Amino acid sequence: MIITKENAPHLRRKATVTRMMVDVLIALAPTLIFSLIVYPINTLVTYTISVFIMLSAEFVFIGLTHMFPKDGVKRTFKEKFIHSYKGTFTQNNFLSAAISAVIFTLIMPVAMKLPDGSIIPPIYPAIVGSLVGIVLGKLVFGGLGQNIFNPAVVGMLFAKLCFGSTYVYYADTWFFKMPDAVSGATPLGLINDGALSNITEYQTFDLFFGRIPGTLGEVYKITILIGLVYLLVRRSADFRIVVSYLGTFTVLTLVAGLALLGLGTGINPFSFTLYSLLSGGVLFGATFMLTDPVTSPINPPSRVIYGMVAALITVFIRLFAALPEGVGFSILLSNMIAVVLDHYEWSNPRFNWKNILAMSLIVIVGALITFLALMYGGVYHG
Amino acid sequence: MIAKTTHIKDTKNLVGSLPAIRYMKPKYLYIAMANARCPKADLYIKEGDHVNSFQVIGMRHGPFFEQPIHATCSGTYVGLEKHYHRNGKLTDFIKIKNDFKETFDHSVKERSDEEIKALTKEEMTEIIKDCANVGLGGSSFPTFVKFQTDKPIKMILVNGIECEPYITADHRLMLEFPYRVMEAIKYTMQAFNCKQAKICIKSKYTDIKRVYEQVLKEYVGSGIELCCVGNYYPQGWEVEMIRNATGIQLKPGELPSSQGIIDFNVSTMVGIYKAIKYNMPVIKRFITVTGDGINYPKNFRVKVGTSIKELIPLCGGYKHPDKEKVFILGGPMMGASVPSDDCIITKTVTSIIILDKVNYVEEPCVRCGSCVLSCPVHLEPVQIMNAVKANDKERIKKLNPLKCVECGLCAYSCTSKINVTDYVKRAKIFAKL
Repeated sequence: MIITKENAPHLRRKATVTRMMVDVLIALAPTLIFSLIVYPINTLVTYTISVFIMLSAEFVFIGLTHMFPKDGVKRTFKEKFIHSYKGTFTQNNFLSAAISAVIFTLIMPVAMKLPDGSIIPPIYPAIVGSLVGIVLGKLVFGGLGQNIFNPAVVGMLFAKLCFGSTYVYYADTWFFKMPDAVSGATPLGLINDGALSNITEYQTFDLFFGRIPGTLGEVYKITILIGLVYLLVRRSADFRIVVSYLGTFTVLTLVAGLALLGLGTGINPFSFTLYSLLSGGVLFGATFMLTDPVTSPINPPSRVIYGMVAALITVFIRLFAALPEGVGFSILLSNMIAVVLDHYEWSNPRFNWKNILAMSLIVIVGALITFLALMYGGVYHG
Repeated sequence: MIAKTTHIKDTKNLVGSLPAIRYMKPKYLYIAMANARCPKADLYIKEGDHVNSFQVIGMRHGPFFEQPIHATCSGTYVGLEKHYHRNGKLTDFIKIKNDFKETFDHSVKERSDEEIKALTKEEMTEIIKDCANVGLGGSSFPTFVKFQTDKPIKMILVNGIECEPYITADHRLMLEFPYRVMEAIKYTMQAFNCKQAKICIKSKYTDIKRVYEQVLKEYVGSGIELCCVGNYYPQGWEVEMIRNATGIQLKPGELPSSQGIIDFNVSTMVGIYKAIKYNMPVIKRFITVTGDGINYPKNFRVKVGTSIKELIPLCGGYKHPDKEKVFILGGPMMGASVPSDDCIITKTVTSIIILDKVNYVEEPCVRCGSCVLSCPVHLEPVQIMNAVKANDKERIKKLNPLKCVECGLCAYSCTSKINVTDYVKRAKIFAKL
């Protein structure tokens, strides 16, 4: 019998990274399945492209980073292959790339319009976006666990900047048919263009079940909520981020709704808040992209601040900027802040008066800016 | 799973209800020359000399104290032999051939209750020092140093929590010797002239609770009470125990005596009882032999100096002898593993845990933050690990790793199976430089 020496502790918990990743995939499954039912061909094409590109990029990266050192010895291809991949390409590499691919698919537009007028599934954005997302968003930083930015968001935004004008957010399906009045404007676009009087166009019920123009998967709030509940029950996502993000977002949009009411637009602040929560990628981002542990801070108070900052940027971009993709940009910007929040000079795993002060300042200052800018800044021009 | 870890799965319920088997007559007994706190030792006897039980046969020299070595049986001194000590090092052991006569040394004498009542704190400290009593929970901190404190003591806490998984030695001791525990508390209360004492146990141990509720009826008015604290790990760490038993939160590095509290492990208490009542040093102790690498986990009461090899057949031998094993002396979270089963039970070995070796594959850290949430001293183990990897001494010092109590929860809770505790231990060495 062999007795080996090992360092304490000699027991380990059952939970693994693999379990957390499988949980995220399970949580994504309802949305993906729903999207496959509503837009079978478009989803399947985008999904196949992004999974293929992301997995092969990860595979090539692992091979490149685990090559034999150059020492002049001749080796067969098989030896090289085994050296590069045995024990280095694990199920976690596979799963993390798969998660990025699913998230990327679900935030792609429904279709794209070619210059000749034909409407095809978003093939080119998917190719460019998934390649840029996995390479510039993840692999250049060193692969799994090292990335600063969420690869899916990086890819989505890059594709949007390249192909944004060709995006088509609406296609007739059995699930819903578009009323002719607004031809394919997304609910978010309405807020962004200041066409706030039109927001009654979409019923809360339609927003909730995704009977609106939009992306492939982001719009089905009901399935996203199922995924969110699953993740929180399984503790695979940190509830602090979700709660602080959605809470701050609700407070700020409520303030904005009050300001709009004060301007005499006749908007009900509560229905404005609900509309904002259910339109665009707020729920999807809060559930699957902000909670990605790799790109979020480590300490509990930092996580709360991180969610708040993300909510603040989302609201600001939605109300004041000309871009509709507030959630994507806010996630990337708060990913950058995550590293700063965890800096060793001020990081603290416990809630104390300092970080509670910072949290309250973020909310109060954010609310003030929102209110004043809408009331007196002349931002609103609806 | 991003969550605070507090409970560790163990097999305590299986072993805790078993009686402790007395194994008192080994052929040879081995007594350590040196230990972790006392690196040097002198021997007073020659080969072939006859020794009695409890006889002083040598003297260990520590940095600020001296510790007599006692023979744990009567017999002949055979010579020095190398075996593995609890700390995982090969150490010289004094080998004594047992003659099974159990002749006592002249120093052993029974004190009557009146004599004990007349003892002052200084006299008790002297007795405890001569009997070489140390903290038997695993720290092996000399007990007389605790007795020497000049701060006023308001409360005595007896630590019977034993929060490490698998171990049930203190559990059995509390069940089998409740009167010794109570008498020892009485003596200590007399020494410190304090009016209050609490016996801390886990609230899930209803069997101990029932025993002590009965026993405490005989000690009405003595100020001793039973205190049920939490079931989590590391409840047995003194700061957590003091917080849950009295509500006082100690600052890092602060001694309990500065708050008027002194705490002892329950087996140390029984050692104090023996020392004061009979002038006997600790020569027997409870020990648990358990783990998934052994057929029938059992509790034992053995003589200090018994070789562990002799206990394995009594437990039905190893389970799956073809598998790789890990041999742990102490708890599975903090105990040291030894490279061979040729090791000796010293005073502070609470258990022998034999586990099947599991090779955990280290995945890259995904910053889930479980270690930060689980850390009982509110450190950031993952940040410390990154600082150690980057060799950034400035950052290591700022992250304050010296607060770490090495409970092992960060590595236990790690979802990537990284041994974070190892990195934090290394950071502690860095920070001390």
